[in-house]
Amino acid sequence: MNTNTGVSAWITRPMLITFAVLVSLPFWIDSVGLYQYLGVEIVIWMVFALGYNLLLGYTGLPSFGHGAYFGIGAYAFGLSQLHLTQSVWLGLFCSILFAALGGAAVAAFLSHRRGIYYALLTIAFGQVFWFLSIKWHTITGGEDGLLNIPRPDLEFGVFSVSLDSNQALYYFALALFVVVVIGLWRLIHSPYGTVIKAIKQNEMRTGFIGYNVWLYKWSVFTLSASIAGLAGGMFAMAQESAYPDVMSLHASGFVVMMVLIGGGMVSFWGPVIGAAVYFLARDMLGAATETWLLWYGLMFMAVIMFKPEGIAGAWQSFVRGRDNSADVEKKPATG
Amino acid sequence: MDFLLNLAPHLVNGIGLGLLFALIALGFMLIVGVMEVINLAHGSLFALGAYFAMMIIGLEPEWFGPMGEWYVGLPAGLRYSFALVLAPILVGLVGMLLEYCLRGTYGKDPLFGLLLTFGAAMVIEELIRVFWGSGEQVLQTPPAISGAFIWNGLIWSSYRFFAAGFAIVAIFMVWLFLERTPYGAIIKAGAHDSEMVRALGINLSRLRLFVFGFGVMLAALAGIIMAPIWGLRPHVGVDAVIPAFLIIVLGGVGSFGGAVVAGVLVGLTVGLTAAYASQWSLMSMYLLLIVVITFRARGLFGKKSVLEN
Repeated sequence: MNTNTGVSAWITRPMLITFAVLVSLPFWIDSVGLYQYLGVEIVIWMVFALGYNLLLGYTGLPSFGHGAYFGIGAYAFGLSQLHLTQSVWLGLFCSILFAALGGAAVAAFLSHRRGIYYALLTIAFGQVFWFLSIKWHTITGGEDGLLNIPRPDLEFGVFSVSLDSNQALYYFALALFVVVVIGLWRLIHSPYGTVIKAIKQNEMRTGFIGYNVWLYKWSVFTLSASIAGLAGGMFAMAQESAYPDVMSLHASGFVVMMVLIGGGMVSFWGPVIGAAVYFLARDMLGAATETWLLWYGLMFMAVIMFKPEGIAGAWQSFVRGRDNSADVEKKPATG
Repeated sequence: MDFLLNLAPHLVNGIGLGLLFALIALGFMLIVGVMEVINLAHGSLFALGAYFAMMIIGLEPEWFGPMGEWYVGLPAGLRYSFALVLAPILVGLVGMLLEYCLRGTYGKDPLFGLLLTFGAAMVIEELIRVFWGSGEQVLQTPPAISGAFIWNGLIWSSYRFFAAGFAIVAIFMVWLFLERTPYGAIIKAGAHDSEMVRALGINLSRLRLFVFGFGVMLAALAGIIMAPIWGLRPHVGVDAVIPAFLIIVLGGVGSFGGAVVAGVLVGLTVGLTAAYASQWSLMSMYLLLIVVITFRARGLFGKKSVLEN
């Protein structure tokens, strides 16, 4: 790892390539047989998956109820638009705030636990929120959820931008994605990031060195939950509704699958790849067969069995293999 | 007194439900103990057991000739008992296949086992949809155990008593098997320290295969008993696997008695809240969990285990 300074510490080449692909997406997505709204969905889930990977990939904490915070964000956005004032900024602020509060409360229970107990408790808490969303009719609208959430214009003080078209919405989501990517990249390469990676490797030793492991685990969960909340808020804005489905065990499982298939355990970009693969699989397999989940599930099982490092891991070992063979060719010449 | 009488049916229902939860949880716990795998497919296999039983009971195998006619002519009770034996065995075989897929994940992060079974749960649920459709199905119960009777001026469902009684017998058999046979001793030892068991010359991979098959058989058995109460939908498994999680955490991982006590506790909580605030009945068990975990971090009977590392 080279210690970068200046611009290269903030922006890297893979980042530029990703941004370039995503910025150009609206111009070619129609011609490959897909549709504009899919781009919005993909970018939102990329944000969700990136935030989730902070927990799973970098701190090694398996949360299996993360859909809950996504859902809290969605409901918070919807409720703020329906009952307070109509403003995107206020809505997203509420999404982040309430998801962070929910995450902080849950993390206070969780952060002493490890391993399987941790996973079990995240499932239990995720289900609590899911149940609340279904049963608390007066607030959440029950199984139907919140409908007809308005999508107000984006206010910048002196001027405002309408988000009615899918393209405008896409670029707004992309802008937030860029902020999240750069923010997370800096966080991971900060001293804080080093400590959470140490917790993943050996929690007990990290504690012995003198770090307050509980506080790190608590804060990383809260942070991850607030990013999930941001994604949820955007999702409610895009869907113009919020419903309990996104909080179910299945939705929570999907984000774990995205991160794993993409290769979040070994790469920063794993969640981004995984989210794209998931939605492409959904639309392409879904067009071909009604039981696309069956095939996606089998694909997922195959990934875990044969290449648990996911797509990014496969790419890394491919590159490493190529470099090694290049080294072998070089050696006789230099020696 | 009236109050107690009104409460009685809910108590019976709650205890019966709790015992069935405990049965699911026991299979789940055996797998966690010996393989350190959280089997998220447990619920789907629970549902699969009920679907297999439904198929076996409803089978009309004309193509077998006289054999088929003989089978169709059997009384409903016999066919039901036949399904009660055969369906868990079939599910056990499916479970063994799953264990075979899991072998690559042993010794790695336990997360991978959990994720593989999550994928398997999805696949099994979709397969159920393919074969039996997404709609609600009915598992026929023989007339001897269905229906209701009146006692002390209250209507009681016979099937609930059968379910509770069956669960007690099944749990007792599992206890006998684990505590009073050499195989049970090996399984318990395997849950305690699988490396040492291997060092003693016991074939660990065969043990794991067997334990996984046995654990999911218990799930299938519970599924067959539960199906007439809950109805039969492809995603019914989620309703079963989540209480099983809770019970394990509540009772403490690795404690047989803890699982049974926690199971009954959860069942009673669900049953009693169903009486007064039916909307919130399933919510109550999560609250119970949070209360217990706040005061006893490892559950009621939990000890420090290797799974926490």
